[in-house]
Amino acid sequence: MPVETRLLALAALVAFAALAGLVWRATTGRARRIVAGQQVNLNDLGAFKNGQPVTSFGSKVTFLQFSGEFCTQCPPTARVLGELEAKTPGALHIEVDITNRLDLANRFNILQTPTTLVLDKNGIVKSRISGAPKTTTLESELGTFAI
Amino acid sequence: MSTKQIDPRGPRFGAAITTVLLATDIFLALDSTTADAAFILLVAITALFAIGAIFGNAKHPYGWIFKNLIRPRLGNPKELEDAAAPQFAQGVGLFVAGAGVILHIFGVPNAVVIAAGAAFVAAFLNSVFNYCLGCQIYFRLKRLRVIR
Repeated sequence: MPVETRLLALAALVAFAALAGLVWRATTGRARRIVAGQQVNLNDLGAFKNGQPVTSFGSKVTFLQFSGEFCTQCPPTARVLGELEAKTPGALHIEVDITNRLDLANRFNILQTPTTLVLDKNGIVKSRISGAPKTTTLESELGTFAI
Repeated sequence: MSTKQIDPRGPRFGAAITTVLLATDIFLALDSTTADAAFILLVAITALFAIGAIFGNAKHPYGWIFKNLIRPRLGNPKELEDAAAPQFAQGVGLFVAGAGVILHIFGVPNAVVIAAGAAFVAAFLNSVFNYCLGCQIYFRLKRLRVIR
């Protein structure tokens, strides 16, 4: 195969990969609204926070973050959501490791980590953020809860 | 989960070298006169993936280069990451590149260029966009019961 053709094939592959990367970066971390979302059961979730079992939702909003093994984006996401919780009255951040909780992965249809479910004060899923949440996404999520 | 923490820029640096090697491999594989060289290079890339998958980034030649030549010229990273995630990605690379090697040995046409192309896209996304394979496919594979 001529050198020019081979270089052209490589350039096409680079362009494809770059396009895929740009699409991924634009779509990851955005919220998808959930209509008639399911009720999260805290007992069943078995979440712990600061060594204590979580027994109530945030008084305004709860960010339920599912993390897992081999996830580089999970610790930074936990840090961002933790900071958001600290500066937002009524907001709660819960992180659940689903590595050994495939039942939760199946129930909430978790395909990638981190996946963050945004819950209202009653623990009903209102939206879903796949990937590390964008700052603007979190701001507009807080906005929907009038915070 | 492993508690060993590493500089996340290390694996991205390694992925950049892998991207260049795989691009070279595709270039060689597309011409019949250099197809043998392409196969040998893919075997070498597979071996490098195996080192990364089995021993981790710290014991990988690219990890060594990063630690001794690159890292001293950079500031401290914003945060560290779990060493297990890039190791998982190396395992995926090993599977894809290794499949290309084995299929080529069994005479499957274009096995080298297809495997190198697939691995190239993943390595490119990893180095340029910080795309994390472990985040994207681990639970998909687990839920499909491909892995436990």
